[in-house]
Amino acid sequence: MQRFTKKELTQYNGKDEALAFIAYEGKVYDVSRSFLWQGGRHQVLHTAGVDLTASLDHAPHGADLLERVPMIGMLEED
Amino acid sequence: MAKVAREMVERAGVNVDQLLELLVKNAAAELTTYYYYTILRVNLIGLEGEGIKEIAEVARIEDRNHFEALVPRIYELGGELPQDMKEFHDVSACPPAYLPEDLTDIEAILTVLVEAERCAVRGYTQICNMTAGKDHRTYDLSLAILNEEIEHESWFSEFLGEGPSGHFMRRGETSPFVSKFLR
Repeated sequence: MQRFTKKELTQYNGKDEALAFIAYEGKVYDVSRSFLWQGGRHQVLHTAGVDLTASLDHAPHGADLLERVPMIGMLEED
Repeated sequence: MAKVAREMVERAGVNVDQLLELLVKNAAAELTTYYYYTILRVNLIGLEGEGIKEIAEVARIEDRNHFEALVPRIYELGGELPQDMKEFHDVSACPPAYLPEDLTDIEAILTVLVEAERCAVRGYTQICNMTAGKDHRTYDLSLAILNEEIEHESWFSEFLGEGPSGHFMRRGETSPFVSKFLR
């Protein structure tokens, strides 16, 4: 399974045809094909290419929705 | 644009541009859901489907009402709808509620319906959280819509065997919570 640093993850921000990856609790998910992550943006407030672990605490949904997108790697600790 | 109304919301600490983008996205979700529910409702036939058709129709009409109620608030705050309806469709806050491949699979249709309602419940919860105590009019409107979306979710989830919700289907007029914004 591919491993990503936080810096590498920023390349996958979904902008300009780039793939859109997000991290949550050490796992990296590919949201490129999700309707809700078009252009690497999600519900105005969130962008791809970052660790969203803290943000999910304030989201109107739980981590269970991440089961709908492929988990493609692990996020390395700083 | 309601200049002072917008200024009050800004001064309360709300990012009005972000809020407007969310309102447009949710308005798009309502109008596209109205369209897709039309197709879903048409296909709710047979022994299983006919029993669900009525609540699908109520949810469809109320989602259109939600679109109608959201539009004035978008323009009051200085926003606008996209000129191009294709663009409007694609910025929707919720995925398209497509008809499942197997038209006889009523449970699959119900799953599409309940997922659309759950997306809406999440969306209006987010707007309520963003505007509570700051933008009273948007909060009031979003809360009214949220009340109806929660009832829609409850109706469909009961048919999926997720347990009772304590709700009853509409008696009389549609949109009991949102109708005050439509007069």
